[in-house]
Amino acid sequence: MLFHTWAFVAFFLIVYAGFRLLRGTRAEMPWLLGASYLFYGAWNPLYLVLILYTTSVDYYAVTRMARSRRRGMWLAFSVVNSLLVLGFFKYRHFAAENINLLLDWAGVPLAVPVVNELLPWLTADINSSLAAMGLHYTVPGLGDLPVGISFFTFQSMSYTIDFYRGHCDREPSFIRYATFVSFFPQLVAGPIERSTNLLRQLGQVQPITRTDVADGLSLFLVGLFKKVALADYLAQYVDKVYAVPGNWHAPALVLATFAFSWQIYFDFSGYTDMARGLGRMMGFRLMLNFNNPYLADSLGDFWRRWHISLSTWFRDYVYIPMGGSRRSTWAIYRNMVLTMVISGLWHGAEWGFVIWGLLHAAGRAATRKLEQTSLYRDRVPRPLKQALVFAFVTFAWIFFRARSWSKAWTIIERIFTSGWGDPQFPILAMAMILAIWAYQHAYESRWGRGILELAAVRVAAAIAMAVYLATFIAPGAAQAFIYFQF
Amino acid sequence: MSLPGLDVRFGSNVVRLSAWQWLVTALLLVLVMSLVPSIWERIEPLEDGADFRIPYELSYDYWLYQRHCRRSAGRGDVLVVGDSVIWGPYVTRQETLPHYLAAATGGCRRFANLGLDGAHPAALAGLVNSYGADIAGCDVILHCNLLWISSPEHDLRKARPAGFNHPALVAQFYPDIPAYDETLSRRIGNVLDRNVTFFAWANHMRASRLGGHDLPTWSLDHPYDNPGLALRPTADVEADKRHHPPLPWSDPSRGIRRQAYDWTDLEQSLQWRFFQATVAALKERGNRVVVVVGPFNEHMMEAESLAVYRRLRDQAAARLRQQGVACCVPPVLPSELYGDASHPLARGYRQLAEWLVRQKEIADLPAGRQVADSVGR
Repeated sequence: MLFHTWAFVAFFLIVYAGFRLLRGTRAEMPWLLGASYLFYGAWNPLYLVLILYTTSVDYYAVTRMARSRRRGMWLAFSVVNSLLVLGFFKYRHFAAENINLLLDWAGVPLAVPVVNELLPWLTADINSSLAAMGLHYTVPGLGDLPVGISFFTFQSMSYTIDFYRGHCDREPSFIRYATFVSFFPQLVAGPIERSTNLLRQLGQVQPITRTDVADGLSLFLVGLFKKVALADYLAQYVDKVYAVPGNWHAPALVLATFAFSWQIYFDFSGYTDMARGLGRMMGFRLMLNFNNPYLADSLGDFWRRWHISLSTWFRDYVYIPMGGSRRSTWAIYRNMVLTMVISGLWHGAEWGFVIWGLLHAAGRAATRKLEQTSLYRDRVPRPLKQALVFAFVTFAWIFFRARSWSKAWTIIERIFTSGWGDPQFPILAMAMILAIWAYQHAYESRWGRGILELAAVRVAAAIAMAVYLATFIAPGAAQAFIYFQF
Repeated sequence: MSLPGLDVRFGSNVVRLSAWQWLVTALLLVLVMSLVPSIWERIEPLEDGADFRIPYELSYDYWLYQRHCRRSAGRGDVLVVGDSVIWGPYVTRQETLPHYLAAATGGCRRFANLGLDGAHPAALAGLVNSYGADIAGCDVILHCNLLWISSPEHDLRKARPAGFNHPALVAQFYPDIPAYDETLSRRIGNVLDRNVTFFAWANHMRASRLGGHDLPTWSLDHPYDNPGLALRPTADVEADKRHHPPLPWSDPSRGIRRQAYDWTDLEQSLQWRFFQATVAALKERGNRVVVVVGPFNEHMMEAESLAVYRRLRDQAAARLRQQGVACCVPPVLPSELYGDASHPLARGYRQLAEWLVRQKEIADLPAGRQVADSVGR
């Protein structure tokens, strides 16, 4: 159930009406939990077992941690369990394929079996029973990656770690904790919330004000526009070019890569805006996840603006525990590289993501000292720094989008060797990107913000976005979010 | 009010509206969405030829169909409603049944071609209900094409390999149509499209100006074209052409053989149920309705199928008459006047029209009295 579908709108209206009625009563959390599980089960009801399992284990671990002197053991139990679940569902193919390659290379006549689909007999039995009952519903196989697994696993892990560190109290209500892990607006693609923020809000009854509803609608509309009008539009061009890069010349490959930079930003930040908007309408404030990342003037700045909930997660639970920036220079760079590589791998079990992480690690390592110099800070014009950061980030996206080293290399090679060819990049798309880029710049300037925050401008912008979506976007053309696959 | 110590930034550069601004936005949106289709209708010309039919490429443009209904009803035309048998895929627009009906009356009445390609009874029911309100009180000749009960697939009890025509027009939730397999989102969207004129107009814009695509997809096909120019208001003119070559079904080049049909009983037929619903809806709106059943191409049927067909045809006509609905059952046309199982060729339409205008049911229409007078009855 995607946010930008009528089914979700109907779902949300019903859930919201019930939520407003039950707000402050004992039924509030069960209602939210039921809605969240219904939302998640719409993808595959069998994966509800998975989220319930992760939730239960972490809840139990914290309960035991609270009573036990061996807190570290229960933390390790929880973390290892989460990593095993994530590893099995997300990385088993990747691991098996690479182990088999290694065994083959070493001449060892063994092979690790690749499990494509789990319990195929179970889904077959369920489906035949459903058919026998005359129901037009098919339970999907358990072969695909459970949607949102990386997000809810990390969210649940953060709770156990925070509790271990004494950053949060034990949540006495299992229902509330399960709601925290599965809260439907941010369940499948974040922001990855912390117990200190969302769980705390779930535990208190705050009045939902008109401002909350208005802010929520504002966030939702902007997110919807980013996703449907911009990201899905650019995706069509990117998909066309990246499907067969060998058929395209340098201009198309450069423009497709440039377009992908914006596509992934609009797609992911659009989702986040919608998620935050939905949360806000219910009186919950989800964390900011994107802050104009393409206006960053250094790579460090970029990572403070891009997927903030994940960056800070890795900072708090990986980078700092490894020693962070308080160790020797070598250790700092090692921690940085390791964190970036793990971050790349978090996105998906493919080498393209690892290379993407490595590239960012290399970039950060190479520019970290430079960024601290007064020459870079004060002498290099900001637009130039922004352009350089954008160019680097865009280059790295090639590996992220191409997924495989060979395809990425084909693209890079052809960018430099294939010469001129008509890119067939729509002028409308270019105009929209430039308009958004100019908007972001204007918003950062005092005079620009003054104009953009005029009531008439805001109302006109909202109407323009709504009319554009209703008129020029074909209904039913909803595409999934890129980050759902992670 | 926020929790103490909770500091969550609102957004980076979001268009943030207050509650009052949202109220103003909603009101303005309603205004814009209400006005735009009617303003567009005033500025976009609609071809005024007597034989206008919905261009084949715009068969899914129901806003245009609604406009065509409105104009035809406003002129007092006799409205000829049905699927592609009325639309005329093997003929030009000057060779359709409505054209020949007008010709058979000596041109003293206009007959509007309200045929829509692929509009099976389940879709026709939705079309009449959602887009045909303007034809209330008019004289309607409604065609009943028994092709739609010629197999479980045509009757929508099984999925057709050829796909589902006009999914947006059929009943989305009730009654259940087994062959209609669509997501909940799409079904809700279809209900909204049928009930919010602006969405139908938006679909018209995409269908007529952007080749049936949305703007992003269109711009990928026309990367350097100005979308503003493509969206100019111009008339939707159909090239005066046939959609299929006008060859009889029996022509060896067609490769069509006699067929055995797996007819559905009227009792069990979904399509027949929807056809009756269409008739009922028209009558409820004060239309004077004459149903024309067939003429199906009996020459193309195996003997067993033919016997069942004749029984079903007569049953259908009898039931309609029992319900007080005027009904004509034209005789079968000569074999060479059919393009396929149900579509006549130009001479077939002419012959059918000449037969129809002599029927009492047509003559009994108030408009038909003029027709009868003109043909010397």
